[in-house]
Amino acid sequence: MPNRLELSGITKQFPGVLANDNVSFAVKPGEIHALLGENGAGKSTLVKMIYGIMQPDSGEIRWNGEPVVVPNPKAARRLGIGMVFQHFSLFEALTVLENIALGMDAKIPSRELEARIREVMQTYGLALDPHRTVATLSVGERQRIEIVRALLLNPQLLIMDEPTSVLTPQEVEQLFTVLRQLASEGCSILYISHKLHEIKALCDTATILRGGKLVDTCDPKEETSRSMAEKMIGTGLKDIVKPAGRSFGEPKLVVNRLLTHRTGHFDVPVTDVSFTVRAGEILGIAGVAGNGQNALLDALSGEIRSEDREAITIDGKAIGHMDTTERRRHGLCAVPEERNGHAAVADFSLSDNSVLTARDRLGMVVMGLINSGAARTYTGKVIADFAVKALGPAATAGSLSGGNLQKYIMGREILQKPTVLVVSQPTWGVDAGAAAAIHQALVDLAAAGSAIVVISQDLDELRTLSDTLAVINMGRLSESRPVAEFSVDEIGLLMGGVHGAEAAA
Amino acid sequence: MQFRLEKRPEPSRLMLYGTPVAAVVLTMFIGAIIFSLIGYDGIGAVREIFFTPLTNAFKWQDLGVKAAPLIIIGVGLSIAYRANVWNIGAEGQYIMGGLAAPWGALASHGAGGWWTLPAMMIAGVAGGAAYAAIPALLRTRLNVNEILTSLMLTYASVQLIYYLVRAPWKDPMGMGFPQTRRFASEALLPNIIPGTIVHAGVPIAIIVALVAWFIMTRSVFGYQMRVVGAAPHAARYGGFSENKTIWLALLVSGGLAGLAGMLEVAGPFQRMVPGFPTNYGFTAIIVAFLGRLNPLGVIFAGIVMAITFVGGEIAQTTIGLSNSATGVFQAMMLFFLLAGDILVRYRVRRVTPQVEARA
Repeated sequence: MPNRLELSGITKQFPGVLANDNVSFAVKPGEIHALLGENGAGKSTLVKMIYGIMQPDSGEIRWNGEPVVVPNPKAARRLGIGMVFQHFSLFEALTVLENIALGMDAKIPSRELEARIREVMQTYGLALDPHRTVATLSVGERQRIEIVRALLLNPQLLIMDEPTSVLTPQEVEQLFTVLRQLASEGCSILYISHKLHEIKALCDTATILRGGKLVDTCDPKEETSRSMAEKMIGTGLKDIVKPAGRSFGEPKLVVNRLLTHRTGHFDVPVTDVSFTVRAGEILGIAGVAGNGQNALLDALSGEIRSEDREAITIDGKAIGHMDTTERRRHGLCAVPEERNGHAAVADFSLSDNSVLTARDRLGMVVMGLINSGAARTYTGKVIADFAVKALGPAATAGSLSGGNLQKYIMGREILQKPTVLVVSQPTWGVDAGAAAAIHQALVDLAAAGSAIVVISQDLDELRTLSDTLAVINMGRLSESRPVAEFSVDEIGLLMGGVHGAEAAA
Repeated sequence: MQFRLEKRPEPSRLMLYGTPVAAVVLTMFIGAIIFSLIGYDGIGAVREIFFTPLTNAFKWQDLGVKAAPLIIIGVGLSIAYRANVWNIGAEGQYIMGGLAAPWGALASHGAGGWWTLPAMMIAGVAGGAAYAAIPALLRTRLNVNEILTSLMLTYASVQLIYYLVRAPWKDPMGMGFPQTRRFASEALLPNIIPGTIVHAGVPIAIIVALVAWFIMTRSVFGYQMRVVGAAPHAARYGGFSENKTIWLALLVSGGLAGLAGMLEVAGPFQRMVPGFPTNYGFTAIIVAFLGRLNPLGVIFAGIVMAITFVGGEIAQTTIGLSNSATGVFQAMMLFFLLAGDILVRYRVRRVTPQVEARA
């Protein structure tokens, strides 16, 4: 039986970077094949060429033994290749059925389509009401729409791009059940991820890319997570050094019944959020994306101001009514989730980006004029201390890779020595090496007496980093408890809220 | 064969500054062809419009006088446009500045002194800024698009001139002409080069541009304008209020347009007449873009535009080209500039259709 998909010598050159360098591997029918690699390793480029979004410069793609050219995604779908993207393309105001109908290449009468959708859902145990509006669905349910959409075409190969990054542990388990069933029916699955324990649990084969080159093809069940991680990053992995027997000091940040108002049609405000973070403590806030994390960060950073001054206090001083600049003066720095256009301005130099948040705390403004020398010096220090790969303070933020920009942003805030630091998704899309550096810097800042809040969807990150943990769901925050007291299941149930409990039943 | 626009990883510096030059050259080239095709001496038109004003030393004073208001308004617009605040109504603010200034000049006629001109200047700036405050208020309170409001207010201000010069401000000795009396000498801009028409507005324009350049590159105000324009979300995170920025951008651009209006009415016009609106406020939009929204670039762009105005007048007499020809050339320049800007950020790639998939 020929291989389902076989790549040989695939090469793709972008200006200034060789995204894929002579990559060859094969996926067998019914195989769950992992594609592993750090950000920028070339996974996405490779997959885009398989799905027809891009064309390889050289090399050959064979489909069921036949050489093929895939000019566009429509042709890929016709061959029997389905893909579920990391970012869903769904219209929130439309129903599940309408969304699926819009994505179909062929025009199918709505009644017939609904029957087929129900059939697919029944076969794979995907619970979903075709007439629900997408806006009311959880992320896990939205992903099911995308999966159903792909399955309606009876694919022989399903590509899943980082499917679990937004799911609760229970939702991940359900997804795996579906994928295993698909594989047992002969459908091959190309599974892109950097979550190694998932790959060990799910995949038959793993192909590891690094810097556009194929490093290894191995059996994940025979490897350890650590050995695969080291193949991915090419060097030994550093552990976070967390001083043992740490004790916490006085309460630094006290949040008392904080609430925000709904602004957009589909955004999630926070309701009645209360917590305390002490000096030296790292509080982790877990939760599935879209449960009020953005509102919480904006309310803490000062982008959304509270009507109640006492809702947020730092060192006993009420700051709830203050804007971001005043809060920074009082020692509260924040890093939002989105790097480009929110935490940094892509078109500005790094030096100018330092002025954005550090101008007052570090005296970069004298009588309304910017002291660009001070900004440059500080930026140089951030670049040096956080090993940011940049041409210097004059390099534009947009010229940095995601991981390097994140290191710069974290460095810019951490070197201001804030009393309280609030960060959202500090290592989102950042490679393992940079993530370890950022984690260590946060631990060191806490050890120096700052209070830190980490909002993240990555449970592994929160479990290694935090001292205490709370879970946000639909804008409400659970009680915070020492992280060791939580089991993964318990966190998962809290993350899922009512949704998760229903789905698990 | 298909073409596709592909984003460049980093816009080329050379192209960024080369585009305005290329736009001017293309305008001459295409302009010559168009006017030849419709039966004029196309090459002659381009020569008269773009080169005669430079080669004929008698025309230099005209260039300075025409460029000054364009530069002052263009500088204000370049600041607002940096902040993504689209003030299209500079013409109206220019008119209101031109109306606010003589209000004092006429009231104090004959009783003025050294303070008259500075007071008129302040009145002009205040008039322009106040008129720009209307779109600012509507935008920040009711979220009404400032492009529409500022543009529409321009037409209201034109009507206000017509009313004032026909009734309350009408010169009783003007033999029925709808115009105000000539201002008293202390309310007129002094000539700075004897024997020419070059008035004090010309050096003021250069000073305004230099000060604006310094403020935009070095101050927190300039930083605020740039960051709100480049990334509004990041600006909010950095502690800059969007509404405050909209107010500042409209007040500054309106105030400068008002200053230009005052300098025009107290300089070349010497009185308010119905023909006061000369589209400087609209042409300054082209000046701001041609100058890359950089106050220093605006100086050069203002001169280029002044050349087309002066050249247009020359061409009118020498080769009988209609006055609207100037507008055609100016519009072409903006068109080529904006088109060129796309190519600075994107490149055109030829895509050959792929062979269909064989399964």
